[in-house]
Amino acid sequence: MKKVRIVALREDRKRLLEHIQDSALIQVRKVDKSEKGFSKVNVTSQMKIFEKNVTLCENSLSILDEYAREKKGLLSSFAGRKEIDPDEIGEIASNSGEVINVCRQIIDCNRTIIDNSAEIVRINTSLAQLEVWQNLDIPINTADTQSTAVFIGSLPKMYNDGELKTALAAENPKLEFEFEIQHKEDNLTCFVLFAPISQKKMAEDVLRTLGFAKPMTGTSHTPAVKTSRLTNKKVQLQNDIERCEKAIEELAEHREEIKVTQDYFRIRADKYNVINELEHTKHVFVINGYIPDEDYDKLIKLCERVSTCYIEAEDADDDAPVKLKNNRFSKPAQSILTMYAAPSHADIDPTPLLAFFFYFFFGMMFSDAGYGLLMVIAIGIVLKAFKPDEKMRNNLKLFQYCGVSTFFWGLIFGSIFGDAPVVLYNYFTGAKLTMAQLLPWPTLDPQKDALVLMIISIAFGLVHILVGMGCKFYICLKQKDWGGAFFDTGLWMLMLIGFAVLAAGIAVSQTVFYIGAGIAIACAVGLVLTQGRKKKGIGKVVGGLASLYDVTSYISDLLSYSRLLALGLTTGVMAQVFNMLATMFGKSVVGMIFMIIIMIVGHAINIGLNALGSYVHTMRLQYVEMFSKFYEGGGKEFEPFTLNSKYIKIKEEK
Amino acid sequence: MFTNGMFFALVGASIATALAGFGSAKGVGGAAQASMGVLSEDSSKFGKMLVLTLLPGTQGLYGFIVGFLILVNCGVLGGAVPTMAQGLAFLGASLAIGIGGMVSGFAQGKAAVSGIAMSAKDDRNFSKAMVSVTLVEIYALLSFIVSLLVVISVPALKI
Repeated sequence: MKKVRIVALREDRKRLLEHIQDSALIQVRKVDKSEKGFSKVNVTSQMKIFEKNVTLCENSLSILDEYAREKKGLLSSFAGRKEIDPDEIGEIASNSGEVINVCRQIIDCNRTIIDNSAEIVRINTSLAQLEVWQNLDIPINTADTQSTAVFIGSLPKMYNDGELKTALAAENPKLEFEFEIQHKEDNLTCFVLFAPISQKKMAEDVLRTLGFAKPMTGTSHTPAVKTSRLTNKKVQLQNDIERCEKAIEELAEHREEIKVTQDYFRIRADKYNVINELEHTKHVFVINGYIPDEDYDKLIKLCERVSTCYIEAEDADDDAPVKLKNNRFSKPAQSILTMYAAPSHADIDPTPLLAFFFYFFFGMMFSDAGYGLLMVIAIGIVLKAFKPDEKMRNNLKLFQYCGVSTFFWGLIFGSIFGDAPVVLYNYFTGAKLTMAQLLPWPTLDPQKDALVLMIISIAFGLVHILVGMGCKFYICLKQKDWGGAFFDTGLWMLMLIGFAVLAAGIAVSQTVFYIGAGIAIACAVGLVLTQGRKKKGIGKVVGGLASLYDVTSYISDLLSYSRLLALGLTTGVMAQVFNMLATMFGKSVVGMIFMIIIMIVGHAINIGLNALGSYVHTMRLQYVEMFSKFYEGGGKEFEPFTLNSKYIKIKEEK
Repeated sequence: MFTNGMFFALVGASIATALAGFGSAKGVGGAAQASMGVLSEDSSKFGKMLVLTLLPGTQGLYGFIVGFLILVNCGVLGGAVPTMAQGLAFLGASLAIGIGGMVSGFAQGKAAVSGIAMSAKDDRNFSKAMVSVTLVEIYALLSFIVSLLVVISVPALKI
């Protein structure tokens, strides 16, 4: 990684920045303090406008999705961004104003729809409240006359004429009144009551004690008129909604343009964000950044081609971001590494090792030749047909390589869609073959030889852990930490090898057993003597002895690899179960149809469940068992200044 | 009353499948509830939530495999009818994955719920959550392997 400083003329700023952005060569470095004579240019206001436009496009796209859903294929999420010519950018820019207007229209229509919907809800409530007053021929807001007080409202109980009269009289016998019941139902009686104006107070008291309530919707028209008015308004609002919906659907034809415009503004906003960080004088400006060593020449060529400039570079310090460099074999596993943490400068890049073990263990757990082949072919087709972007392509490649490994492990375990070949053969011929008899090569059946396979799994685990510790050993040597290398790591590695030899000795011969035991004891003594070296006094002895306790953690690490057996077995047995179920319906036509359906669905379920399990558990073996031995992480990833677009990418100039 | 061990072998198969399945069902159920809560806010996290939700599901699979292997070995789907002692051995073997799977299913379910909450806050926590949740699984695995080793060796035992 190099620290680079590009000084160029201000008039070239636009061209140069655009080319750098297209090429994705450098990561712009923020400089806190301006050097003397330099100052920053504030372009925040332009940036805000671009960002606002991005949001505008985004919102209108999501509105379009709501009203006029885009027809998408099931696999289209694999598809890469659309490639466009660099020249097309100008066209997009000149169209952008128009497109933004379309976005505004869409958003306005959407707002109308939302507002009208809310209004309709309000109208519906009013209509419901007015419904009980339909028979009333005076307005609900009718005021008292000179001689008569008018009460329009409801009581929370059902009365008929006689009951209401009795109830009112019971409260206050002196009150004179006339009433007319408009509507009654359970727990509700709506009525109009007239009383002499002189007794208004008295009537109010009586009604209050009975629980009188005035209607919520007051109106100076009769309820029937009001209802028809509201209904008319509702229809009008609904028409408006329909008109707007249709308008949005019509505007949906601009969807692609909106997407492209959104990217255009996003790219510009990013560029202005960088300009904000640049140092300017009256005539020149400076870009500070990081660039991977191997891209330096490219950058010089690029800058000289498009502008008059001066470039200087120095080796970067420890704060610099890290760019992982890997070949085609290990590149797909890079995402697994960065998901854990990017390597710091103290680390080595473990991606090649990680990649190898990832493919290897995944294959061992998924272990079915049929599934492996399916993965390789399916991913191959997707890669060819959809041309996904780099990130997606790498993820797919990861599983394609895993598929290759799965294929070979499947052959070793004698599993091709479980035992489908023999099941089908036996189904049609009535023979009683087994997979082992059918396959011409010797297989290792996890069901019969589980113990052997478990020992093999743990042996692989030992190799995996030793490789991890080997990395630690190498890192310590590189940092000249001799104690860390030989005492902390080397002795434990030797000790584990000693245990392995010892275990092999139990099976092979007594001599090997004693050799193993000898190595292990020697290492144990060595550990007791060295592990307390940083402590004082009695702590030296205690520290040394206590370190031996770590042996339990190594044992549990090793046992953890028995999952290689367990998951391998799971895939095979599940596949067998589905094959067995599939052939249960006999040899009739119906039976065959059932067989085909059950096989397809069953194996799909099995692939889903066990691919997930294998992925998760392989990852765990890498993270917990291996990385814990040596990997620090905590570095920053190299994030170049690039076209951070969602829908388009610019064709590389040849 | 029993002339052979078929009954006990079948009880064993049921215990292995049902108890481990019970543990997984509870674990996955709890995790699914939590992940649906997250998905109601942000449905784009579906893939990650699915992974975390399914993690407590393996116990049920292990139990099912032990149950299936017992059926294959005890004369129901193949193999010879077991003797009394072999039947009891099947029963004994199934207890390991039955109980171990059930309890670790509960525990992993709880861990998965916390993992879901953690990666709902920040996507970058996902891999850490995932690894932490799989830490529980080792105990189900150990139970499974004990059950498995016994079940596949019982037919060869002369008892």
